Amino acid sequence: MLLNFDRLGWWKYMLLTITVLTAAFLLLPIVFIAALSFGSSQWLIFPPPGWTFQWYSELFADPRWLESAWTSFKIAVIVTILSVLLGLVTSFGLVRGSFLFRDALKALFLTPMILPVVVLAVALYAFFLRIGLGGTLVGFVISHLVLALPFSILSISSALEGFDKSIEDAAVLCGASPLEAKIRVTLPAISHGLFSAAVFSFLTSWDEVVVAIFMSSPTLQTLPVKVWATLRQDLTPVVAAASTLLILLTIILMALVAVVRKVLKQ
Amino acid sequence: MSTYSDASGAIMPLPKARRATGFGGVVPALAFVAIFFIAPVAVLLLRSVLEPVPGLGNYAQLIGSATYLKIFANTFIVSGLVTVISLLIGFPVAWALAIMPGRLTSVIFAILLLSMWTNLLARTYAWMVLLQRTGLINKMLIGMGLIDKPLALVNNLTGVTIGMTYIMLPFIILPLYGVIKKIDPSTLQAAALCGANRWQCLTRVLLPLAMPGMAAGALMVFVMSLGYFVTPSLLGGTANMMLAELIAQFVQSLVNWGMGGAAALVLLVVTLSLYAVQLRFVGNQNPGGR
Repeated sequence: MLLNFDRLGWWKYMLLTITVLTAAFLLLPIVFIAALSFGSSQWLIFPPPGWTFQWYSELFADPRWLESAWTSFKIAVIVTILSVLLGLVTSFGLVRGSFLFRDALKALFLTPMILPVVVLAVALYAFFLRIGLGGTLVGFVISHLVLALPFSILSISSALEGFDKSIEDAAVLCGASPLEAKIRVTLPAISHGLFSAAVFSFLTSWDEVVVAIFMSSPTLQTLPVKVWATLRQDLTPVVAAASTLLILLTIILMALVAVVRKVLKQ
Repeated sequence: MSTYSDASGAIMPLPKARRATGFGGVVPALAFVAIFFIAPVAVLLLRSVLEPVPGLGNYAQLIGSATYLKIFANTFIVSGLVTVISLLIGFPVAWALAIMPGRLTSVIFAILLLSMWTNLLARTYAWMVLLQRTGLINKMLIGMGLIDKPLALVNNLTGVTIGMTYIMLPFIILPLYGVIKKIDPSTLQAAALCGANRWQCLTRVLLPLAMPGMAAGALMVFVMSLGYFVTPSLLGGTANMMLAELIAQFVQSLVNWGMGGAAALVLLVVTLSLYAVQLRFVGNQNPGGR
């Protein structure tokens, strides 16, 4: 009846209409921004009076945009590496270990995910001002690592939980050292978890704006902070161009994730 | 050897399972989290009762001022509205996704994921442009003859509600989809066989069965909305602040750490108690996003 699509009667068309409208609503801003970035109107008139690449050339001509993108990339890459390494070691401890308060500890590690970011941003801002890390690359990396680590621990430990440890033990019995068995048997088996951890960590850092607003200095800012600062002044179409490139990157990453997951799961 | 006393006072060896193994692995992360997460947040909260003078003065000021109370009201009203609207739209969509033919479902899923993964600032920027006085939405409404003059859709709480609902929709659709997908269709067939009409099937069977998912999703969206910073500041304008912006303002422009800490504590207590409610009554759901 209600859970059989063909037997819903006219309710079927009602559900379909709501779903299609919602999908259009979700798609609208994304398509709109992409169209706008090629529109020739400085005042973002839509539909645009003509088409142009002007905003892209302005974007690439301004060294501050490129610089902030490069800063974002550097930070995100360092955060990704550290987050996967730390997440891996921690997940081994959490999944394989047995000690008091293990579940409580896991919950603690995941807390930064649910905490309002603004609280963390303000708290770290105060701390880093005091110890001289405010406005530095190290400060950025540390604060983004706090946010990325929970995603990494979550993906790697769930992969590790799904891996049968006796396979690793078998490798040790066959003469591999425990470390060798971990590197050559276990790591390849949980590679899909490591990959998810890397993607989530990268995106967490790359897209993060709240903490970044507090960490940035006039000489060091990430791409989201640059977008934020520009938006607070005016709604220039250059931001549309930057946003479109970000959306493109998202689509590429999504496709990559879909492909790699398929390959790794086989 | 490690030991512990039982109720009778006899000394017994510690059960083997209790002995710590693998604890070394979590030490680096624990140290990191303690230094760069727990300690800074704890210090911030402590400053609310220590600065400028020890006591609860900051909290009295926070509760006593009409300006701050309005910000609390804004925060709760917007979060509540966003939750209700997301639920009203999200339920039929999740329901449709759970039973629709496969190909259409995967298209809708791709759109959901794309919108979720797209940079938050890019999405918010799009709404800033779409909702402005000369924006596409106003033009369309005028074009359809629904309104004569452009509506003020941005720089107010309407804009914040639209922008936040946009962001939160996937967070309610995805968990609800999971719950509805798991419902056995024969339950509804049985209800129909026993003479229930469609409306009764919906209100007495499907909705109650989907309730845990709805409660979990709604609570998560509500809590996430309470702490949102970027979207309210860009779409709400300076006159319509929400709690997260207030915290940022205390710290950044007013350099008032005592008040900042107090507002942060309020947000933190509300957030964590709602999560506790969720864990206690609806079970665990993985949140995400900002």
